Amino acid sequence: MGLRDVLLGRKKLQAPAGERLFAISTARITLATELDLKPAGSAGVCFKSLSSGEFVRAENDLQELLDAVAAETASKVERKSDNLGFEWLVVRDQDFEDLVATVHTVAQELEDRGFGEQLLAALFPFEGKFKEGRVYWIYGFKQGAFWPFVPTGKGQERDNAAELELKAKLEPELPIEGDLTRWFGLFDAPV
Amino acid sequence: MKRQAYGRDVGLSLRMTLTMFLLGLLYVGFALVLFYALHTSLVVLVLIVVGLAFFQYYTSDKLALKAAGARVVTPEEAPQLHATVERLAAMANIQKPRVAIIDSDIPNAFATGRNQKHSVVAVYRGLLDRLDENEVEGVLAHELTHIVNRDVLVMTLASTFAMLAALITRFGLYAGFFGGFGGGNNRDNNNGVPVWLVIVVVAFVTYIVSWVLIRTISRYREYAADRGSAVITGAPEYLMSALQKITGQMAVIPQKDLREVQALNAFFIIPARFKGSISELFMDHPPLEKRLAALEKIAQEMGRPVS
Repeated sequence: MGLRDVLLGRKKLQAPAGERLFAISTARITLATELDLKPAGSAGVCFKSLSSGEFVRAENDLQELLDAVAAETASKVERKSDNLGFEWLVVRDQDFEDLVATVHTVAQELEDRGFGEQLLAALFPFEGKFKEGRVYWIYGFKQGAFWPFVPTGKGQERDNAAELELKAKLEPELPIEGDLTRWFGLFDAPV
Repeated sequence: MKRQAYGRDVGLSLRMTLTMFLLGLLYVGFALVLFYALHTSLVVLVLIVVGLAFFQYYTSDKLALKAAGARVVTPEEAPQLHATVERLAAMANIQKPRVAIIDSDIPNAFATGRNQKHSVVAVYRGLLDRLDENEVEGVLAHELTHIVNRDVLVMTLASTFAMLAALITRFGLYAGFFGGFGGGNNRDNNNGVPVWLVIVVVAFVTYIVSWVLIRTISRYREYAADRGSAVITGAPEYLMSALQKITGQMAVIPQKDLREVQALNAFFIIPARFKGSISELFMDHPPLEKRLAALEKIAQEMGRPVS
């Protein structure tokens, strides 16, 4: 926000910053070599479902989107919804770079179809010896930054120490959300 | 002040005594100046401040609980918490304090009350959620040591004169603009410096210096309470691991789910934050690294070094 926006009290809703998403592609190498973490072969894009008035149009748009993505990439994309009323587009691809590219395409398509404001986050699970269970990187489209998320599996409990370690290790190459109060988790995601 | 049974740190005791002595000296000097320039408006101020301080001391438990939105819980409502407090109180050889819970995500706790009989230990929900049983025990033992050490009394005594000095500084400045205390009647001395100005300057200096000294005493009392926790639980590592979890970076990582926040808050780019309140609560505490180092030393003294 510029000075004039502050003075005039204008707060524009930030446009989704999709491009920084690709940083996770290169971060994969550090994750593998230093922390022994490998991509789990899937990723999810989470967005808010629409009000019922727009529902039919949205349904058609989403089907179109899935077809478009299927035509563009070799990744598999499926639709899921969670118990908190959010929609997920789950991408599966063993090649991590393709996976990230498809996630980007999905986000881009959602944006082009007017879902940009509802885009919440992308979720990248990793697995390995670093930690029992999965370790996640969450990408906030609004912030254009990543943050780590390590659930312990017991309710809404997370391993903050592991998360801070991930932050410290990946800080040089990944745009990481600096404000820790925004590191919200995504528990029980259908990814 | 500190009972021998709670482990002694000669250096800490010396520093604390010295700081308290300096504060006492400062207050005596301040009192002398006030006495010298005795004036009815000053007497009224002194009475008000002493009255306020006494009120604050007397109602410390109720005030603090109200201010924090704490709810005193029965053993039936929080059996585990009560059992831990009871055990620790028995080990510290004090009456079992009342137990209160504050429904907030902040990981913190405090103890208050003018004496053992009126003491309360209040725990934030965030503390219970984030810490395991042993770590909660370490924190509770720290709070119980505050009760053993009569910290409410010590800090009230230490800050009463600072309150007075602050008030005089403020009123004095206003009064100065309108011709000094009592409408300028005090200006009949010959050297030209109005008495009210002297008082205000002395009060201001007292205020500044006492502020620093009170902070210092407060930090020393935290070290003493840390030591107490180590001795009561017999395991300094409980508090060490609790401190690492509740101070610093980890404390600000939220526990909520992104979707919950989004659902509650249309402007989820500016989520509800509680960072400010945490730094505020920890303001009078020594930095984490120093507390950990001190606890590590205690662990070595106790013959159970912590890795």
